[in-house]
Amino acid sequence: MNNWDLLKMGFHNLWRKKTRTFLTVLGVIIGTCSIVVMMSIGIANDQGTKEWIESMGDLSIIEVYSSGRYGDMDSRNSKKQVKLDDQGIEKLEKIDGVKAVMPIKEMRLKVAAGKMIGNVNVIGIKPEVMEAFDFKVQEGRLLTSTDKETLVFGTEVADRFYDPRSRNRYDRDPNAPKVNLISSKLMLSSDNNYGEKKRNQRNQRDDDYKPPKPHKVKGVGLLAQSGREQDWNAYMNITALEKIIKEDQDARHEKRRRSDNEDQYEQVKVKVIDIQRVEEIQEKIKAMGLDASSLTEWLKSMREQMKKSQMMLGGIGAVSLLVAAIGITNTMIMSIYERTREIGVMKVIGANLVDIKRLFLFEAAMIGFVGGILGITLSYGLSFALNKFGEGSMEGMDMMMGGMSGSAGMSIIPIELALGGVAFATVIGIISGYLPARRAMNLSALEAIKTE
Amino acid sequence: MEIKTGEICCFLGTSGSGKSTLLNMMAGLEKPTRGIIKINEKNVEKMNEKQLAKFRQKHIGFVFQSYNLLAALTALENVSMPLTFRGMKKKQREKISAEILDAVGLKKYITHKPNQMSGGQQQRVGIARAFVSKPPIIFADEPTGNLDSKTTKEVMNLMLEIAKENNQTIIIVTHDRSIAEYADKVVYILDGNIEKIEEK
Repeated sequence: MNNWDLLKMGFHNLWRKKTRTFLTVLGVIIGTCSIVVMMSIGIANDQGTKEWIESMGDLSIIEVYSSGRYGDMDSRNSKKQVKLDDQGIEKLEKIDGVKAVMPIKEMRLKVAAGKMIGNVNVIGIKPEVMEAFDFKVQEGRLLTSTDKETLVFGTEVADRFYDPRSRNRYDRDPNAPKVNLISSKLMLSSDNNYGEKKRNQRNQRDDDYKPPKPHKVKGVGLLAQSGREQDWNAYMNITALEKIIKEDQDARHEKRRRSDNEDQYEQVKVKVIDIQRVEEIQEKIKAMGLDASSLTEWLKSMREQMKKSQMMLGGIGAVSLLVAAIGITNTMIMSIYERTREIGVMKVIGANLVDIKRLFLFEAAMIGFVGGILGITLSYGLSFALNKFGEGSMEGMDMMMGGMSGSAGMSIIPIELALGGVAFATVIGIISGYLPARRAMNLSALEAIKTE
Repeated sequence: MEIKTGEICCFLGTSGSGKSTLLNMMAGLEKPTRGIIKINEKNVEKMNEKQLAKFRQKHIGFVFQSYNLLAALTALENVSMPLTFRGMKKKQREKISAEILDAVGLKKYITHKPNQMSGGQQQRVGIARAFVSKPPIIFADEPTGNLDSKTTKEVMNLMLEIAKENNQTIIIVTHDRSIAEYADKVVYILDGNIEKIEEK
């Protein structure tokens, strides 16, 4: 019997009992749909969480601190193998899979642009690795290694400038012209009172405090909006910033605190080639005796937590598909009882045993397949409805899942899930139909013909 | 006993005499407790289910008392079933089936379903189905059991005619003595034993 005839005969048989076939298919539709929708909510949650964490920073960056920064006694006592100084940086750079290493110094400085003043968090970095760390400018350029007293600003920095002479200096006037940080002449000072009105200055300093001379600096670039912390910072060559920090310390008559035991850098960022390798490299860094943390690590633990609730939801869906599978088996067995005589006749007039088995398997697979297709279609509909109308009312669901919906909404059905759903339903059909098909194949032809 | 190629052999006996069982055993539907059945030098009783299915497909046509047509299919589809199982293409098998339906006088009925036909017509469809793949042996179990005498005559003549044409062997099981008149060889069965064999 060729496949085409088998197909036609199978369809014909299913069509003969439309209502029963439809009801069995309906079972599969509901089963497939419940699994797929449950999983789509899980996927959307996962993606939402990932987006949320990504918005806080780059997932492929590992932040490295000197060990014991958080007062972890154990690690402080253990002999430190690597210090966060230039040598340590070199060691980090040599780890396989590390794209770039960026030591960081940070200081809050006053920046004056004409009469406008801003408190700016200035971060000292190595200009050479800016590109590797995905810094992008929307205006101007990035820092280059020859840049000294030049700054690159995040997009939000300009909005935080204020006029100290204005009466309501803390209420930002939305209509006020934005400070142009690139064209304006900028002054940079570590003096907290720089540019403030005299009466605002509180006399809390030692008398011998002489503010260091402010530096003339130039803004060369404005960073593209990233939605991350870099929007709020200004970046500067780390050597230039170190000089300013030193001047500030001298002005405060602070002792050079840095002893041999102290790290040169408080924080180092390590950019990894591939997100997949973050964990592995993080482990290596920890093995060097440093503290390392990454958002990927956090994401992983969050995902693990969510996986549990996803499994639970998937389980609920799986139960309904199991019921559908039993439905298919039942339908096929009923069908064999009804068609016993027919099967017998077919056997007597020359049907191969395999043909009979294939016929019944095909019918069962078809119920699964059609149910799967319709189930997926329904799932897309439900997913659409959930995304459109369910956002508010299903907030509790989010809480239950321990995650959050991302930009794509609370239900995402990727094509793999859709195809997988159909394939799974078909396989369920075949499995459910297997025993009945064997039964049909092994029917005694003689008994079958005698059946009325 | 032996049945030769092209012979019309009739097993005659009352109900319960064991004639149907004999036929089923010859067709490989039932296993004999002892003894051997050879068709074309092959031992039928030794074949397994799979081999039997192949064997039936190649060598045997079946005509039933109760016609056993598939109710959901048209006459044409019913007749072409054995060819379908052989994997023949639709166009070819429908041509052959239409020809044989024409030969049994049902040209106008090819698209009819079994329940739209009389008993005689249904049996003619059954005969067409048995002969369509030109098997060397046709088994007929009370082929006229549900038919009136006029139709019986028509059906019997039809079977013999086609069989003679292709030199096919027909083995008929019946309790109707009038059928025996058509046969070359009549085997009388009584209580499971062969009482006598009559050759013409």
